Amino acid sequence: MSQDEIFQKVTTTLVDALGVDEDEVTKDATLQGDLGAESIDFLDIVFRLEKNFDIKIPRGDLFPDEKLFSDPNFVQDGRMTPAGLAELRNRMPFADLDEFAKNPSVKELSSLYTVETIVRYIETKLKG
Amino acid sequence: MRLANKIALVTGASRGIGRGIAERYAQEGAKVAIVYNRSKEPADQLADSIKAAGGEALTFQHDVRDPSGPATITEKVIEAWGTIDILVNSAGITRDGLFLQLSDEDWTDVIATNLNGTFFFCRAAGRHMMSKRTGSIINISSVAAQHSNKGQSNYAASKAGIDALTRTLAAELAGRKVRVNAIAPGFIETDMTESVRAKAGDVIKGAIPLKRYGSTADIAAAAVYLASEEASYVTGQVLVVDGGLSIGAVA
Repeated sequence: MSQDEIFQKVTTTLVDALGVDEDEVTKDATLQGDLGAESIDFLDIVFRLEKNFDIKIPRGDLFPDEKLFSDPNFVQDGRMTPAGLAELRNRMPFADLDEFAKNPSVKELSSLYTVETIVRYIETKLKG
Repeated sequence: MRLANKIALVTGASRGIGRGIAERYAQEGAKVAIVYNRSKEPADQLADSIKAAGGEALTFQHDVRDPSGPATITEKVIEAWGTIDILVNSAGITRDGLFLQLSDEDWTDVIATNLNGTFFFCRAAGRHMMSKRTGSIINISSVAAQHSNKGQSNYAASKAGIDALTRTLAAELAGRKVRVNAIAPGFIETDMTESVRAKAGDVIKGAIPLKRYGSTADIAAAAVYLASEEASYVTGQVLVVDGGLSIGAVA
């Protein structure tokens, strides 16, 4: 499946899961900030991606578990520590963390969850 | 009919309160999936009577303590009827005894059936309802969750757990327009309360301000309300249906 085809299918998934218009789903749109996703929506997105792409997405695989962000080794004073950033890179090799790493505030985490992140995740999953 | 064309799944539906709810839902136009554990004959008889009256019913044998069943059952219901609009968790047991004398099994069986079973079905149906952005979940609690009955520590804890589960699920699913409520029955004339009613004679009845035991129809009426559009602004609540027992009125 080409990246464009994956993007199209991810777009359909997000339109269905979030009730947004198709033209709102751009590659750099963030799920929370731009598309208005709430915590429960993330679950629905995962369920729908599993169904639409016929894949299994283990818990925490696409969107890291909250536990990661409550671990004092990884988060201190609301910011990811170097160890936390390394762990995040390890868990989300498909995400572009360079911009986030300049100001690794937990509050900014939502900027990582973009449409592009999902597309790249699906790409790596389909390549197996 | 207040539930015309709705799809309902009711656990513990072969007997007692669950049966009363399943019967009433069918009368109100819902298609009903009847989940039972040991009482196959009453479950089949209920399904037959619903069909004879022109309704639709499916039966599923399942021990609600088993976490692996609900996903399959909900999938089968969706396959047959397209969706699930209403889930009623009514499967419940008692294993009464003073807590110092309760066996491990007395404790774990009650928690596993009443609380875990409710959670497993909420999770399976909730996932579907969340995606459909509609649904009503009704968990059968008890006045015992908030008021002490000696000899019912296991039952009371399981029901208090159901109340807390109900509120939390209501908060988590509200954004998806799925409502989650509970009904807390008082003394209802069912097999489950028969021995207590027999032992207590008129003492309990005398303590109920409305001076009668409740019927399964009283609970079913509340369950119809909570499932219907009339309750579209109600979520996270425990509706007490007990003839006033819990208001603590003194003569």
